[in-house]
Amino acid sequence: MLHIGNEHIPLCSGTNRRSFLQLGAGAMTGMTLANLYKLKAAGAVDEKKARIRNCITLFLVGSPGQHDTWDMKPDAPEDVRGKFKPISTSVPGVQICEHFPRMAKVMDRVALIRSLHYNTGSSHENGQRWMMTGHDFNAANKQPHMGSVISRVFGPKGDLPASIVLPVGIGNTGTSTPHGQESAFLGSAHAPFFLGSDPARADFKVADLEPPKGQTEFRVEARRKLLTEIDEVQRQVETSSTLERDTAYARAFNLLTNPTTKKAFDLNEEPAKLRDRYGRNTFGQSCLMARRLIERGSRFVTVNQFDTVFGISCWDMHADGSSLNNTYADYEHVLCPQFDLAFTALLEDLQQRGLLEETVIAVISEFGRTPKLNARGGRDHYPSVWTNFLAGGPIRGGRVIGSSDKIGAAPHDRPVTPPQVVASIYQAMGIDLETTMLPGPGGRPIRFIEAEPIRELFA
Amino acid sequence: MDQKLEGKPSASLRLDGRKVTRGEITNHWGTRLQWKVSRDGKEIAAVTAGPEPAFEHADTAPGKYEIVLQQFHYVGYAKDKDGKFTTSKYVDISEPVSYTV
Repeated sequence: MLHIGNEHIPLCSGTNRRSFLQLGAGAMTGMTLANLYKLKAAGAVDEKKARIRNCITLFLVGSPGQHDTWDMKPDAPEDVRGKFKPISTSVPGVQICEHFPRMAKVMDRVALIRSLHYNTGSSHENGQRWMMTGHDFNAANKQPHMGSVISRVFGPKGDLPASIVLPVGIGNTGTSTPHGQESAFLGSAHAPFFLGSDPARADFKVADLEPPKGQTEFRVEARRKLLTEIDEVQRQVETSSTLERDTAYARAFNLLTNPTTKKAFDLNEEPAKLRDRYGRNTFGQSCLMARRLIERGSRFVTVNQFDTVFGISCWDMHADGSSLNNTYADYEHVLCPQFDLAFTALLEDLQQRGLLEETVIAVISEFGRTPKLNARGGRDHYPSVWTNFLAGGPIRGGRVIGSSDKIGAAPHDRPVTPPQVVASIYQAMGIDLETTMLPGPGGRPIRFIEAEPIRELFA
Repeated sequence: MDQKLEGKPSASLRLDGRKVTRGEITNHWGTRLQWKVSRDGKEIAAVTAGPEPAFEHADTAPGKYEIVLQQFHYVGYAKDKDGKFTTSKYVDISEPVSYTV
């Protein structure tokens, strides 16, 4: 499934391009990839500015509890400190949960931010918007995802989309408000490319990179030629924006038919041993694919660990006995081990390939969880304080920014807000936030984010 | 999208006295690993198997010990009223090794 928006592109006959393409064999979903390339077609990319670092964002949908992961409180009362024990790490004085033994060994490359907080609500979507855009907003005032911002300002480096989301977009997490994984006022051309399938599955294919069912590549090529001829007629009567679209459609066809591009998504090219190192599960294989895509030219890859919080093993440990029945058992047997394996594999793999210096890894989530265990032994939503972390690029590892109080209920020192984390990600990517502007609604230049980066991450 | 863990992990074990060393795990699901220890046919311990490949069980009470490496097979998150997974469970991913004390 591809989500590029539903842009309506009229032809002079009154037939729109989409409906034209849906004639005959119908499902030309690959065509909508064109929208990704409008910026480059418009010549908006300054190649000097384009030399920025990459970013891989691991979004831990559901949100781990700070007490049970990266900000443990072993001296707090039992109903606060929880079930797990802390272990020492490669950084003296820094402890994390016992179920992250591999991460403990690479803490010298990780910067923990233990004083994140906001106070605008506690739904998953609130946190998703904050952490993926740096803003909270409603459906009438949407703000773009970080990957869309990067796509709009810097464009793609090659044939791959600048911003890709793996494996799927976030779906139902409780309310129908925006998740923050859209391009908003930047337009559908800069919406992320959503992989739309599980790379851990044996039958994995990127649906939108395959010719529509019933069509051979020959037919796709024939369709491209026909479209080119129609474009030629259009070009004589329509505006320059049409030209932008034409080029974009041409690039969409290239993505659809380019063997190199398709190979970027083929995990079978990776050694089996490396695939095992990441973990043969949806999150692990998505992390591996993120590395492949960055290596092959994508700028910003987001891995959603889950697409929902209902009826699956995820971090949202309400322990409600129903559809939100995640508990310590899920953390211990599934979630922590899978994260520990995949995150450290990604870090080490990037480093071994010389990519870590030019790739920022941001591990982010919606909020923290309540300091006191609820009556069922779970923890509920808690945006008043939590821990996320960054690594790679110019991020100075082995440090802890801010702290929470004795029971992990509020920032104790150096409070940090989501916009500051987003600003830090942009700065870590090498973007000068003082001089680089973003075309806002109506084309008016605006700042990337109205917040200062966290200076201690770079000092 | 609930994850489906496909294939089956496996690892070989080598026994040296009471010390067990595992080889690389192929088809690693990423879920928790544990050493299941039995004595005279009865399970006496399930110990987290961390990144280190070697394990030596501390118990030296007389008997025949059998050790096998297990991994958690996530099938679904459903749990019973006691909080135990109903469909997901630990499965053996190695042949057992045994020694006698």
